[in-house]
Amino acid sequence: MSTAPQRQRQRPYWTALVLPLALYLVVFLVIPFIHIVVLSFYTHSPTRIWTPELTTANYVGLADASFLTVLARTLRLGLVSTLICVLFGYPLAYFLARADRRVALIGLFFLVMPLMVSAVIRTFGWLVILGRNGLVNGAITALGLERLPLLYNETAVVIGLANVFVPFMVLPLMASIERINPALEEAARNLGASWFATFRRVILPLSRPGLISGCLLVYSAAISAFVVPMLMGGARVRVIGRQIYDQLLISYQWPNASAIATLLVIATTSLAFVVLALMRRSARQEEGA
Amino acid sequence: MNRQMPALLKPFVALTYILLLAPLAIVVAVSFGASPTYQFPPTELSLKWYRGFFGNPEFVRAFFRVSLVLGFLAAAFASLLGAAAAIGLVRFRFRGRAALEAFFVAPLFIPEILFGAALYLTYARLGIKPSMTSLLLGHIVVCAPFVIRNVMAGLVGLDPRLEEAAMSLGASRVQAFIKVALPLIQSSIISGFIFAFIISFSDINLALFIAGPNSTTLPVYIFNLLLFEGDPSVAAASTLQILIVGLLIWLVQFLFRPRALL
Repeated sequence: MSTAPQRQRQRPYWTALVLPLALYLVVFLVIPFIHIVVLSFYTHSPTRIWTPELTTANYVGLADASFLTVLARTLRLGLVSTLICVLFGYPLAYFLARADRRVALIGLFFLVMPLMVSAVIRTFGWLVILGRNGLVNGAITALGLERLPLLYNETAVVIGLANVFVPFMVLPLMASIERINPALEEAARNLGASWFATFRRVILPLSRPGLISGCLLVYSAAISAFVVPMLMGGARVRVIGRQIYDQLLISYQWPNASAIATLLVIATTSLAFVVLALMRRSARQEEGA
Repeated sequence: MNRQMPALLKPFVALTYILLLAPLAIVVAVSFGASPTYQFPPTELSLKWYRGFFGNPEFVRAFFRVSLVLGFLAAAFASLLGAAAAIGLVRFRFRGRAALEAFFVAPLFIPEILFGAALYLTYARLGIKPSMTSLLLGHIVVCAPFVIRNVMAGLVGLDPRLEEAAMSLGASRVQAFIKVALPLIQSSIISGFIFAFIISFSDINLALFIAGPNSTTLPVYIFNLLLFEGDPSVAAASTLQILIVGLLIWLVQFLFRPRALL
């Protein structure tokens, strides 16, 4: 049997293997998102929720002060949490990338485990720590001081978001740092560079793809977060995720919510494309090396 | 190697781990306390919140009848669809393969709240009532990428000559794959299955949108109780979740050592 007819016969296999999932995703992922875009151009109706008359009013209407405040707050909270994730994530990623196998495995376990536990439960822990009768306020009152309002403000939301999403920063960053040859660091050190100079001139430039991926992953997760702002920010810290949820399930402003969701989809998928492109590029670099 | 690390690195890493794990540790501690407020540290040990959890039929239902069942079903369907797709992607060369792979893992990058909103509106328009099935259909989408990543990593590391040897001994291509390759990537499929289970079991964002009144999952139930400041049996439920997820991750990491953790 020669190889040529074998190749020919391979063809139907891959379609049979790949097609079920592809079709499934078209039905349950692609069509719902197309539907949301269509709905965002429909007209809101107080009696029937929507009528299929096309309009751009849902987008134009977003340019009002109250929504722009929510938008600006969401983007700001996302940015601050991303910066905090960089601050805590870089040393951790470096440590895990350079630790020996055993330590790295254990360290990775304690990084991934919290990530996989439901966000609700991790937020619950922070409610106990920061709450009115929580750990911190307990210590403060024991010292005879006034209780502090630690929850239901933007700081609380940032603490929650940074905590929940820091593994998204560490994992790509760690993968990037692992690829840097330790000899480069040694060379820099031997030539008299301080550890900070080594970091700034060797590690930082060479781990940039991981850093960018991590930042984009954290940022898009943070700007679309819902559970953390709801539980730790309360009614005062309204974010886009909350806006979408309320308009869909409470006030039935479906076309309007669809417009907001469409914008958020565009923002997060363009971030995702950058992440995927960066990952592919660094994978290719590795193959070439 | 350690000499190169700046002195402050280890203490800072330790602090990061404390901040990362403190919320979980505190939930566990609260669940074993006796105080009806979320008191930490607990002054006396008690199992009464666990009795409270198991004595509450709604809680038990959310845990055993909804979340566990949903997790298994979602993981099973995601493993079937995902493993097949991963095999197709790794073993065959065809046009658009990279684009298809990106499409398959896209759900990882789409915020779940947006996917939840999109499914909610589609179901509403088609008149499909929220139920466990409607939630399951959504969970399969977000679980499949984890199976794909694990199985693809397992297949890439597999020597194709093993199958070629089987084929030269008279096995067909399919037989060679099933008898030789499949047993070798079993652990990748199992770890993909476990990750898929965890994703479904921990999901809150999708469930908030498309879980019906009879399909309240454990995270949704916990979320609702937290909004209205329930008693510490919430902490008992959360501790069980942490325990299950922790054990599963440990199992995957230490038994199967997957190449693709995420």
